[in-house]
Amino acid sequence: MTTISIPEHDYDDDDQEYEYEPLHDHRRETAQQWVKVALLIGLGIYLVYNIASGNITNYVNERFAWLSYVAAALFLLIGAFSALHLWQDWRQTKIHSHDHDHKHEHHDHSHTPISWGVLAILAVPLVLGTLIPSRPLGAEAVSGSMNAASAATVGAMQSFNVPPEQRNVLDWLRAFYGGDYQQFNGQPADVIGFVYTEPSFDANKFMVARFAISCCVADASALGVPVFWDQANDLQQGEWIRVKGTFNVDSFKGDEVPVLQATSIEVVPQPEHPYLYP
Amino acid sequence: MNATASLPLRRLILLIVGLALAVILLMALLGTGSDFGTILNTFSTRFLGIFIEAIPFLLLGTVASGLIDNFVSADDIARWMPRNPVLATLAGTFMGFLFPVCECGVVPVVRRLYAKGLPVSVGITFLLAAPALNPIALVSTYVAFGFGAVLIGRFMFTALVALAVGLVFAYAGRPQDVLRPTTLVPVMGGDGTGDVIPLYARTPRKPLLAGLRDSIVSAGDEFYEMGRYLILGSLLAAAMQTLISQDVLLALGRGPVISVLVMQALAFVLSVCSTVDSFLALAFTGTFTTGSILAFLTFGPMVDIKSTLMFLGVYKQRTVLYLILLPLLMTLLIGVWINLNVAF
Repeated sequence: MTTISIPEHDYDDDDQEYEYEPLHDHRRETAQQWVKVALLIGLGIYLVYNIASGNITNYVNERFAWLSYVAAALFLLIGAFSALHLWQDWRQTKIHSHDHDHKHEHHDHSHTPISWGVLAILAVPLVLGTLIPSRPLGAEAVSGSMNAASAATVGAMQSFNVPPEQRNVLDWLRAFYGGDYQQFNGQPADVIGFVYTEPSFDANKFMVARFAISCCVADASALGVPVFWDQANDLQQGEWIRVKGTFNVDSFKGDEVPVLQATSIEVVPQPEHPYLYP
Repeated sequence: MNATASLPLRRLILLIVGLALAVILLMALLGTGSDFGTILNTFSTRFLGIFIEAIPFLLLGTVASGLIDNFVSADDIARWMPRNPVLATLAGTFMGFLFPVCECGVVPVVRRLYAKGLPVSVGITFLLAAPALNPIALVSTYVAFGFGAVLIGRFMFTALVALAVGLVFAYAGRPQDVLRPTTLVPVMGGDGTGDVIPLYARTPRKPLLAGLRDSIVSAGDEFYEMGRYLILGSLLAAAMQTLISQDVLLALGRGPVISVLVMQALAFVLSVCSTVDSFLALAFTGTFTTGSILAFLTFGPMVDIKSTLMFLGVYKQRTVLYLILLPLLMTLLIGVWINLNVAF
């Protein structure tokens, strides 16, 4: 660091100023340094908690969850060393203020000046992460409108090697990509997702939807398969369901697309991995 | 670097936070159909997603910068530099692979290198290229986008722009026109061995363990410096995704020129560290053109608010203007060209 360290503690040289403002400033600075250390360790603990509780899959692709282990370890390491460093500093100044012939030494490595405002910003993830219950993106996070054709964005990867009953929402949409919908007539399906409806949907039709993420929720895209179920009005927006039935080409929002004709729908708990990974 | 940056920067940060909060509250009050609780929940999930995915890279960056700070002296770098100016400029482009610094870590390093007699143009190329052309930024871009057009484009265009701007200065700039007098002294002094600025006096190498300890402690300081930009940037990106309707974003993000300008402005204002900006860019991939995403990823690491403030400590004001305008125009051209000619 090429910071020119401005000697902030010149008051040591003339003792008459010793009791006033600067001492108070020094105490505040120490407090701020400790808050910084607390934030580092707090963020480390928060990440560890996220990993242990499985909440981490609400935020990132499971494939990259190991990166959070790295981050947690680094936070704790940096926090611990910073704490040690501060403690040594504190002990040193204490010794020095006891013998009155002190020579100032604890500025061999200068601290970055710190402000409460920045500390408050750094506390934001911790505050949001602990005060707001951790939930994956759901039906209310779908922005704009979702239509069956949005599958095109997922890419035309093959998923025909997955047996129909085991295909998830993403697999089905990939299978549909290409446009020859008639071939899916009569194929059985068994998918899990959340209920998604829009006012423009026809009566008794809704979508069973999932979010697909490749990296983290920043790139989440909502995907859904249209479902026909004559008691669709009883379903709650956003609740997790398991739909069984067979596909049949039907009209949905004015398009002729494969629509899952449900034979049974059961409400299920939110799956352990709420997102699909393309 | 704190001395030059702190006051206006703090006001700016407060302003951005205030504005972001105001926007969030306003949108929440106006209501987008759902109630405040669900909006806050979605917002929080989106924000934490970006933050959690990005934070390992930010921390690795801070540790790397701490290690460079404690173990690599500017003398070493000056000694390894090729003597031929074209070769040196090329080496400057890829020096980031040896020293994974982000755009905030690179300025102090460049300043020290100038004091050791590094040619002006090589320093400029290094300054512009290193934040994006380094292993940490490479891996984070890969995690965010996978192997493909964005990853390759980012690194190709960064190298291109950095080299071009460096060569402009190699042929058109004399050190006394480019550098501030305080940076200039050792450059003009020739070999740079004299103790012109006591700040750069050669310090004895630290023992390994003490150096490691100090690196980790200074990583904590660096996190304090850089973490705020990541958090503010993530807050803004999450707020945009949660509160602004897809239609509005699409209207901005589909225009081949306007989308690039918007993303460049965002890159400049957000000042997010180059090791993690991929994750913010990811939030815009659904709605913005590929050219604009690439402009964000190439222009952002070169120039933003916080690096501009730091540039002013090394270069003359007019140089800083060129350092902003040249990359701005070049990445704008590249972005628009991609939008018009390469269909994704």
